[in-house]
Amino acid sequence: MTSSIFLATQGFGLNLNLFETNVLNLAVVIFGLYKFLPNFLGGILERRRSGILADLKDAEDRLNEATNSLAKAREELASAEQKASKIRSDCKVRAEAIRLESEKRTVEEMARVKQGAASDLNAEAARVSNELRKEAAKLAIEKALAKLPSKLDDSAQSKFLSQSINNMGKD
Amino acid sequence: MGFTPFIFPFAELEVGQHLYWQLGNIRIHGQVFLTSWLLIGALLTLVVVGTKKMERDPKGVQNLLEFLWDYIRDLARTQIGEKVYRDWMPFIGTLFLFIFVSNWGGALVPWRLIRLPSGELGAPTADINTTVALALLVSLSYFYAGLSNKGLRYFEYYVHPTPIMLPFKIVEDFTKPLSLSFRLFGNILADELVVAVLVFLVPLVLPVPVMFLGLFTSAIQALIFATLAAYYIGEAVEEHH
Repeated sequence: MTSSIFLATQGFGLNLNLFETNVLNLAVVIFGLYKFLPNFLGGILERRRSGILADLKDAEDRLNEATNSLAKAREELASAEQKASKIRSDCKVRAEAIRLESEKRTVEEMARVKQGAASDLNAEAARVSNELRKEAAKLAIEKALAKLPSKLDDSAQSKFLSQSINNMGKD
Repeated sequence: MGFTPFIFPFAELEVGQHLYWQLGNIRIHGQVFLTSWLLIGALLTLVVVGTKKMERDPKGVQNLLEFLWDYIRDLARTQIGEKVYRDWMPFIGTLFLFIFVSNWGGALVPWRLIRLPSGELGAPTADINTTVALALLVSLSYFYAGLSNKGLRYFEYYVHPTPIMLPFKIVEDFTKPLSLSFRLFGNILADELVVAVLVFLVPLVLPVPVMFLGLFTSAIQALIFATLAAYYIGEAVEEHH
């Protein structure tokens, strides 16, 4: 016992005794691990890796999809904006047209009203002058009737009658 | 044993031998440091190389590391809770990965090819000092987590739900690191010893299934340690109403 300890304290070195170092059994164990561990662990790791890759691909797909729909929405927004601006400009044009139209109509209406007033005035003047004429004629007839009895006698009447008869004969 | 070559001709077995390094007044177990540094280096190399060129398509080492990250995140989240698990995920992950790599590194690397002046290389977690250090870190962490999250209200936990619980909860603060460290240490050391004894008795074939069993239990132990650490932290930050 003492001698073996004494021998063992000689210093660092290599021990190449196959049995003492248990190298053969270790080799078997390590070989077994090398044979079976990659199968066991490798399966787990490969599943993990494919899961991660699938997740990544999924996320990328969703990103693509989102990007596409964003672009589509942007396009739609642009077209809607275009439509809105078109509608706005159309409205402006229409408003301008309506304004012009109503202005024109107003002017026409004013002209018509003016003309109507003028024609009313003319008609009134005509009516008034007619009335005056009738009045004048009436007055003249009344005057003549008033004068008539004093001027009309038998001779004059007969003269008048014969004159009328003569006149009838000429006709 | 060296004097009985005909009965035990194949291997030697020694327990309790260490490669002592003198550091001031402290004698430290050098072989634990050597294997720890090597395994930490390997782990760091794997992580740094694996995350150097990150791609969207996780391939090879990156995929493995992301898988581990997911695993640790789920562990931390279920134990600590949605609110603060992010603060503690690095700690839990470091515990899990270090213990796991230590256990498997100790079991799979043919350390005995290298002969030391004294003691032998093996899993760093088969040394009680490593596991006690880890367990005390867990204790510090859950105290810090509780105090930083709830202030002095953390100590309400000791009288929750009734003040009768106070002595038990105080004892728990001591038994938690104790059980953590001894569970890990005992399992890994026992595993190494069983393999060593078997190799000593039946050098071929028979140790192989035991070694596979050892790999399984080492992985479970790493998981248990990390889960319990996360559970203690979660218990400390949990809100009682």
